[in-house]
Amino acid sequence: MDLTFTPFYALFRRELLRFMKVLVQTVVTPIVSSALYLMIFGVSLGRNIVLKDQLPYLAFLIPGLVMMSCLNNSFQNTTSSIINMKFTGDLEDLKVAPINTLQIILAMGLAALMRGLLVGGITFLVGEGAYLIMYGAPLAIANPLALLGFLFLGSLVFANFGISVGFWAKTFDQMSAVSGFVLLPLIYLGGVFFSVENLPPFWKSISLFNPLLYMINGVRYGILGHSDVEPLTALAVTTVAFFITLALALQALQKGSFQRW
Amino acid sequence: MARPLEIDNVVKNYGATQALAGVSLSLEPGEVFGLLGPNGAGKTSLISIIVTLEKLTAGRVKVFGHEVHSRQAKLNMGWVGQEVITTGFFSVEELMGFHSGYYGVKNPKARVEELLNDLGLWEHRHKKVKQLSGGMKRRLMIAKALVHEPKLLLLDEPTAGVDVELRTKLWDFVEKLRRQGISVLLTTHYLEEAERLCDRVAIIHKGLIRATGGTRGLIEQWSRKKISIKLKEKLEGLTHPDLVKGSVDGLEWSFLTKMSKPLGELLQELQIPQQALSDIKMEEGKLEDVFLSLTRGEA
Repeated sequence: MDLTFTPFYALFRRELLRFMKVLVQTVVTPIVSSALYLMIFGVSLGRNIVLKDQLPYLAFLIPGLVMMSCLNNSFQNTTSSIINMKFTGDLEDLKVAPINTLQIILAMGLAALMRGLLVGGITFLVGEGAYLIMYGAPLAIANPLALLGFLFLGSLVFANFGISVGFWAKTFDQMSAVSGFVLLPLIYLGGVFFSVENLPPFWKSISLFNPLLYMINGVRYGILGHSDVEPLTALAVTTVAFFITLALALQALQKGSFQRW
Repeated sequence: MARPLEIDNVVKNYGATQALAGVSLSLEPGEVFGLLGPNGAGKTSLISIIVTLEKLTAGRVKVFGHEVHSRQAKLNMGWVGQEVITTGFFSVEELMGFHSGYYGVKNPKARVEELLNDLGLWEHRHKKVKQLSGGMKRRLMIAKALVHEPKLLLLDEPTAGVDVELRTKLWDFVEKLRRQGISVLLTTHYLEEAERLCDRVAIIHKGLIRATGGTRGLIEQWSRKKISIKLKEKLEGLTHPDLVKGSVDGLEWSFLTKMSKPLGELLQELQIPQQALSDIKMEEGKLEDVFLSLTRGEA
């Protein structure tokens, strides 16, 4: 009997299998929507936009879309799994078993990271395909370590946030409200499609309070080698966001209800 | 050795509503203990507190001497909830694997095979849970609860809504667990189930334990037996405190007496010689009578 690794691994495997069993819904659909964004904004509308560093708009868009898919899917994985477990009663099993809150967060977080990386990675490959067709060569990755670092950290931030929301939400409506009224605006205003440098000074100052700006630009730094914010600042903000969301997830598990809906 | 379960003065309030008003009981090793009570009596609240799904307002619960939130307590108990499992994604085998893992069981294959065989689920192991019948789902819940070989099993209405055949099989399975030395706390609405399975029962009503004891003892203490006598010759003006009914022709008389009162004593009090009797019928008290006398009129 081992109460350290085995309970964690059982839940991690469960979470991984869960999204693999509904691959069309969890992986294929997000990839299709990312591909559509690439085609419409990157290839079609952005064809004539050239950024100040002479890079085509598609090169600017790809990192943003990669991070957007990664974060969205990490969040979706934990929230939908918890909400689902509230319906089936599986969450009660976790409460009754000798698995602790940190093991639950780690297992759910890492499974969400896997889904985030998978969808983000495929989005990147689709983007690379489009870039290759448009410009005759693939987009080179300037700083792979930074890219992976921001993808990992950002994904875990959203996985943790998803755990908190999943536990906090009492209805599907509440979960959708967080997704639609908080997450979506933060992602879209976080510099996925445009550079904050182009915003009027007032809106630029407002944008600097959006933690997603730093995560998205961290990935942009990883791929392009430069971004709208300093990479170290981006790393610091993302790390702080990780610890804050970890604390929120821990609190949600300790105070929240595991009982069936 | 610490008792499998010790519940000491547990109070549970949901806002202004009090579900448990100071419940105390304990289980002896290897006994099957029944918690009986009408809907809303507090049975599920009590079980939910034991398995840490609910927090108690006051009091203390220990499992084999350990606080319920401790890993030792959790490893020692298995729980079968009242609601039927509905997990849609996974097969029986996968679910058993995850559940074993939550309890730290590293190589669960042999144990899972044994349990699924015992509960008639082995041939359904590749089926998704949603493909199982209601009865199979109930059996799967029991298999899940036993995968880590707990010494205390908590069954919250295990036979609610199952057919007669399955109910009998589940009773046999509980008997088997008893022989293996596993202590069982079960809640039930079926008094026949409690009479057949339980060494002791507690009757809970409005958040309080109204009576605890062996089923036989409770029946003797709280119920009455019905004695009907038929006489060869008509008798008039018969009076007795236990008399409940007499026929118009004066030949048949019915009495409700204490379970412990012998027939001979009653006849002596009535001053009726045995030769005057043409027939006697006796109906023993049932747990149902105990249940009703303790809960009637207050629900």
